[in-house]
Amino acid sequence: MADTWGDFKSFEGKKFETFDSEFTKQTSELIGGQDLTACFQCAKCSAGCPVSDKVNIQIHEVMRMLLFGMKEVLDTDMVWLCTTCYTCQERCPQGIDITDILFGLKNIAFTKGKSPQGYVTARQGLYDTGRLYAPTDWEREDMELGDVPEFNVEDTKKILDKTGLMKLKEDE
Amino acid sequence: MTQSYEVFLGCAIPNRFNNYESSMRLVSKELGIELIDFDGASCCGTVVLKSIDETSWLSMSGRNIALAESRGHDIVTPCNGCFGSLKDTDHILHDSEEHRTQVNKILAEVGLEYKGKSRVRHFVEVLYEMKDEIKEKIVTPLDGLKIAFHPGCHLLRPSKVAGFDDPELPRKVDELLELTGAQSIPWNYKLRCCGSPLLIASEDVATEIIREKNQDARDAGANCVVTNCPACHTQFDVQVLGLKDDEGKSLELPALFVTQVLGAAMGLDREQLGFELNRVSLDPISEILGL
Repeated sequence: MADTWGDFKSFEGKKFETFDSEFTKQTSELIGGQDLTACFQCAKCSAGCPVSDKVNIQIHEVMRMLLFGMKEVLDTDMVWLCTTCYTCQERCPQGIDITDILFGLKNIAFTKGKSPQGYVTARQGLYDTGRLYAPTDWEREDMELGDVPEFNVEDTKKILDKTGLMKLKEDE
Repeated sequence: MTQSYEVFLGCAIPNRFNNYESSMRLVSKELGIELIDFDGASCCGTVVLKSIDETSWLSMSGRNIALAESRGHDIVTPCNGCFGSLKDTDHILHDSEEHRTQVNKILAEVGLEYKGKSRVRHFVEVLYEMKDEIKEKIVTPLDGLKIAFHPGCHLLRPSKVAGFDDPELPRKVDELLELTGAQSIPWNYKLRCCGSPLLIASEDVATEIIREKNQDARDAGANCVVTNCPACHTQFDVQVLGLKDDEGKSLELPALFVTQVLGAAMGLDREQLGFELNRVSLDPISEILGL
């Protein structure tokens, strides 16, 4: 199956007719987005990023795209190939919460159906079973371990119904 | 003084690393740390749910904190993913009235309220505070064990949330490991992410990252890797199986949990420390570990 995400692979030959300042404002309001516009493109974030040599668009370029209000940023592979290691955020000389902003971008991309399939499957599994992984019972008894305490699936469903996790929509 | 915590195991440890749970419980017992089962927990959400919807993540993770709080307990977890998730949530709910109000409205549905009175701790933080007690209990030194210690990201970063160790030059868990007579060796990729969060988006990229890590650990002279996280351990002890370098040499290195290393040096029962469940062969270091 072709990836349904990461279609924006290069700036080469691209024309950007409108820069959307509303999009910059929207991303500044994400958790961690408050200092977004302080980015001065030193690229220290990309220098320490474990996937800089594995992505088409690097993290400092993502930051530039956000400042320019380029919604195409949601189609870059950097959004979903971020390992969430927080090295960029830790080292940013401007104190920008880069990794946290990227989480917010993932949220926006997800509502537009731009995410790896694994996340769609994980969402369903979490809602149905309350877990991301089912416990296995091998060797527990041999090691004198008791049963794995049950997760509360009923409360999980109540909470996720309230937050609307299963019907996330774009608010355009 | 007996320390007492509700222990949050999360999903990954009971899913595939009973050796981590068992060795953690054994070491706790030896040190007099009381671990209370976390009744009625829900998934911490981890970076997976946080990536999909932050409100759902804050609510699920906040529910766990509120639950322990309602019983008057602090939380300890041996998982970097759960630690990062719970601690980050605690940080956001503590600092932002807007998010606290929003989440408490949702938690009211299940009869809970986050007030921010329970502490969230990683198990190695608790161990580090008991360094002196651990030192006294070392009976079987592990001379010759050359450890490439992998702290994992969310134990350290973002440091203003994790608040445990120096994010660029961590040393606390290394100090614990060296109490056993083992050596924590310097290696270039020590602080680099293990790649495990990418297993859901791109196994190829995740594999490339663990390949780089293990190659560097081996070239630095390590005879094992040590972790304190089941997500990282999945990379070092499961995904690594069968990986080879460009010359066809195996990239597998024995991968141990920090509690297995401490437990072995404390002379605890090898079977309950769960060495039989480590996937990568421990043969190269079995003599040192007394297996």
